Amino acid sequence: MTSEKPRIYSAEGVVLRHHNLGEADRIVTLLTPGRGILRAVAKGARKPNSKLGGQLDLIRRVSVSARTGRTLDSISQAETIESYPRLKMDLELMSKAFYLCELTEKFAVEDAPAARVYRMLIDGLSQLEKTKVPDLMIHWYEMRLLHLNGSQPQIQRCVDCGNDLEQEDHVFSAMRGGIACPSCRPSGSDTMLPASVATIKLLRFLQRAGQNEIERLRVAEDDRRQVERILREHIHFATDRTVRSASFVDEVRSQGKRVSG
Amino acid sequence: MPSDFAPSASPVVARLIDAFRKLPGVGPKSAQRLTYYMIRMPREEAQELADAVIAIKDRIVLCEICQNISEQSPCEICSNERRDQTRICIVGEPLDALAIERTRAYFGLYHVLHGVISPVNGIGADDLKLKELLERLRDGTVTELILATNPNLEGEATAMYIQRLISPLGISVTRLARGLSAGADLEYADDTTLTQALQGRSEVESGTP
Repeated sequence: MTSEKPRIYSAEGVVLRHHNLGEADRIVTLLTPGRGILRAVAKGARKPNSKLGGQLDLIRRVSVSARTGRTLDSISQAETIESYPRLKMDLELMSKAFYLCELTEKFAVEDAPAARVYRMLIDGLSQLEKTKVPDLMIHWYEMRLLHLNGSQPQIQRCVDCGNDLEQEDHVFSAMRGGIACPSCRPSGSDTMLPASVATIKLLRFLQRAGQNEIERLRVAEDDRRQVERILREHIHFATDRTVRSASFVDEVRSQGKRVSG
Repeated sequence: MPSDFAPSASPVVARLIDAFRKLPGVGPKSAQRLTYYMIRMPREEAQELADAVIAIKDRIVLCEICQNISEQSPCEICSNERRDQTRICIVGEPLDALAIERTRAYFGLYHVLHGVISPVNGIGADDLKLKELLERLRDGTVTELILATNPNLEGEATAMYIQRLISPLGISVTRLARGLSAGADLEYADDTTLTQALQGRSEVESGTP
């Protein structure tokens, strides 16, 4: 027995990306709890008087009514549930929101329920609006997403010899999926990233901490940067895809430093 | 390589179908329809079309100043000394400059970025014509930059990035007003648009329609 999608249906979702189609239409990609990644056409969305255009802008949580189509579904109505205004008033936060959305998209697939990933995304966007430590919050989110996907890095024991990690500097191997002892340091084409004692502690904290605990955390920027490099490399390896928004996050951060300093 | 969508078509026909399919917004069916329409087209019209296509490749250049597409460099707008040389309106695409020109309400200069920042598509600030913009601002003639990128999140990101880039230069940066468009229905407006419309409300003057 085949289960066919109803001809007209409603869905809730977060707008992750869009691109133009034809004269005035737009293809919108949403992450939805029930259907995972949903790609649909919003007809006339680029016209100034469109009822859909404003509602279906990026990084908005929306409720849509859509009609099943032969190749792509077509959105007939859209209403905003949450527009995350604070993320859009600050370029640093906006860059991180772009990253959060693109990253989450890599962990979802089309036409497969993604309720937990969706819940993570809407909680993550709300949290990003409120947090005092946006960079750490992003790393915490990355760790949670990896956990949800079953691809957390091994940061308790050496990925090579299996021994507990000593209190010394180590290396991170994305290919092997975790930290390796300096003595086990694998050779070959595997890229090794430095992982200091402080970095490993931070990674472990991020793995077990709750959302509120992150807010009280203060870490050295060098250690945070090391964690960032490790997590990005690990995610790239785990998903086999590049999160393009990461370079925008870096670009905005370095621009901010130039302007302020 | 012959077209997958017209296996029985002659190589000449398949070649044109493939050429049309490379155009934005043209799918395989539209490409076939356009091709078969052109087969029936009078030769003079087809020649005119072909000449027009070649002409834009031969004669269109990017203006060395504003980066807009033009038949000459500097373009007509940049070489017009009667235009306000102290204002630059920054737009994403050449068509946006054309839309503003149609209003006949702006007499300053333009700068075309040829895109907007789109993090998810891997388009960053380095991919836009921003170095050329900074070069134009060096001599101190320009006193106002008008950010006229599209009022969506990517347009906003671009505008905010430029605003931060320009801020050390002490040039006034303005943004096109946002809010409800003429003829729009209030009940269908999204909250961002309505908020901006409320924030940008203006006093009703007598005689204002």
